Amino acid sequence: MTDIGFIATNAIVLACIYGTLAIGLSITWSSVGLINLAYGFIFALSGYGAWLAAQYVSTNGVLVLCAGVLTGAVGGVLVCALAFIPIHDKPNFTVRGLIATLAISLIGTQTLLWAFGPRSKNLPEIFGFWKINLGGVVLTSDKIGNVAVSIMVVTAVLLWMRSSRRGLEIRAMMMNPHAAAIVGIGVRKTGFYVMSITGGLAGLAAVLLSQTYYISPFGGLAPMIKGVSIALCGGLGSVRGAVIAAMVLGLNEALTSRLLGGQYVLITQFALIIVILLIRPRGIAGILDRAREA
Amino acid sequence: MTAASAAPRPEKREILKVQGLSAGYGPMRVIHDLDLTVYSGERVGLVGLNGHGKSTLFYAIAGLTGWQRGSIRLNGAEVGGTRSQGPGRYTHLVVRRGLALIPQGDEIFHGLTVEEHLDSGAFTPRAWKERKPRKDRVLAIFPPLVKLLKTPVGRLSGGERRMVSIGRGLMADASLFLVDEPSLGLAPKIGKSVMEALMSVELGDSAMVIAEQNVALLEGRVERIIGMHVGKLKGEASVAMGFQTRREI
Repeated sequence: MTDIGFIATNAIVLACIYGTLAIGLSITWSSVGLINLAYGFIFALSGYGAWLAAQYVSTNGVLVLCAGVLTGAVGGVLVCALAFIPIHDKPNFTVRGLIATLAISLIGTQTLLWAFGPRSKNLPEIFGFWKINLGGVVLTSDKIGNVAVSIMVVTAVLLWMRSSRRGLEIRAMMMNPHAAAIVGIGVRKTGFYVMSITGGLAGLAAVLLSQTYYISPFGGLAPMIKGVSIALCGGLGSVRGAVIAAMVLGLNEALTSRLLGGQYVLITQFALIIVILLIRPRGIAGILDRAREA
Repeated sequence: MTAASAAPRPEKREILKVQGLSAGYGPMRVIHDLDLTVYSGERVGLVGLNGHGKSTLFYAIAGLTGWQRGSIRLNGAEVGGTRSQGPGRYTHLVVRRGLALIPQGDEIFHGLTVEEHLDSGAFTPRAWKERKPRKDRVLAIFPPLVKLLKTPVGRLSGGERRMVSIGRGLMADASLFLVDEPSLGLAPKIGKSVMEALMSVELGDSAMVIAEQNVALLEGRVERIIGMHVGKLKGEASVAMGFQTRREI
């Protein structure tokens, strides 16, 4: 019984964090058409931003979290200015953008290594130390905090996208960038909004994950790979698909590391993704979305 | 070119003045040194075969072609000029100056509901503030949309989509409406009713250019009909001339 409880809680925590990353990547890809390989760098950068804030300003949890999110947003704007604005309307933007963000990622992580050194840093426990026992399942403060904060923030972002003019702008660009230009939506300005919001989501995920793992210059790589695979599995551009895919892959990760061992996680994960994409080439969104394309 | 200079009435304002416009995609030149003037309050029909540059002319006015050169003055402000790349980069600025382009083949946002879709048409700051009365006006023109307001556009039929697409254009705070083949791909009856709706729009001080292949749908209901042939304007007929076509060689 405790075993199942442990697996389930781990799955939910991982699903929330990776889901946040996947939603960010998914929105970036479908609205500005950029496969943001610098997402891992933004993730690591915001980890360091939060660490600096905790080190030199205050160890208050809310402040550390905000510092991480803000650094992430700044990182997103930086990537937008370097990799989106100069090349977005040139031929073959998808591949060029991929290479540009990869370059930013490589340069950025090396700069982080140079600036902060190879030793991992750890953030203060922003949710404090407490635990509750729920029918034999022990829930620690960081698990509850992670789940609550990520669900709250992602819900807030999605509600904002549903109700505001800016949100309509972003959603319109996600569905048809050409028509978006026709109704008067400026592609470049929207790019900055999108990249700062998704950067902020990466920052949030970085601070939340740092409650479990340490911050290191290359620490963003594995979460980014997970985020990309969840986004692919859910169907790029679909938020609901990403949420469901995050649940499925989080469960898979928790189950695999419990039953087979942690080293097999990536193997089972990619096998699962291949199976899902073989059955549903558009990902889980293909099952959900009944609206016809184009 | 004298094609566009026939019908002006002195009190009318020039909404659109295109001079020496050439445009195309990559090595292909579609529009050849074209002049066109559209005055306030008039409906102009643009007729021509497939592939003779009607859509490209509209796209060039919106800054959406691969490249273009030549002057385009919209409400007196220059929105054209020479551009060698970046299709769509400045389109939102042209739209803000008062252009509403209703493109061929709908170009819809398939996941938005009809209501959100109409809102997106009023995206310019001025139109956004008064989008409620505008929406009521569009729904009065297209009554079938009232029941569909909460439906995603991707689930609508072809005729309904065309209504949404045209409705989105009419939501804009525009002085020039460019309508590209409103009856394309629709059943004749539905195409006729869509055209009927377009003709019922009160233009006021604005102007409307309708590209259409079916001249019969336009005849007697627009102020001028201009022919388009291999990227140039060829011949013009107007109400004043009783639709006697005049050919230029």
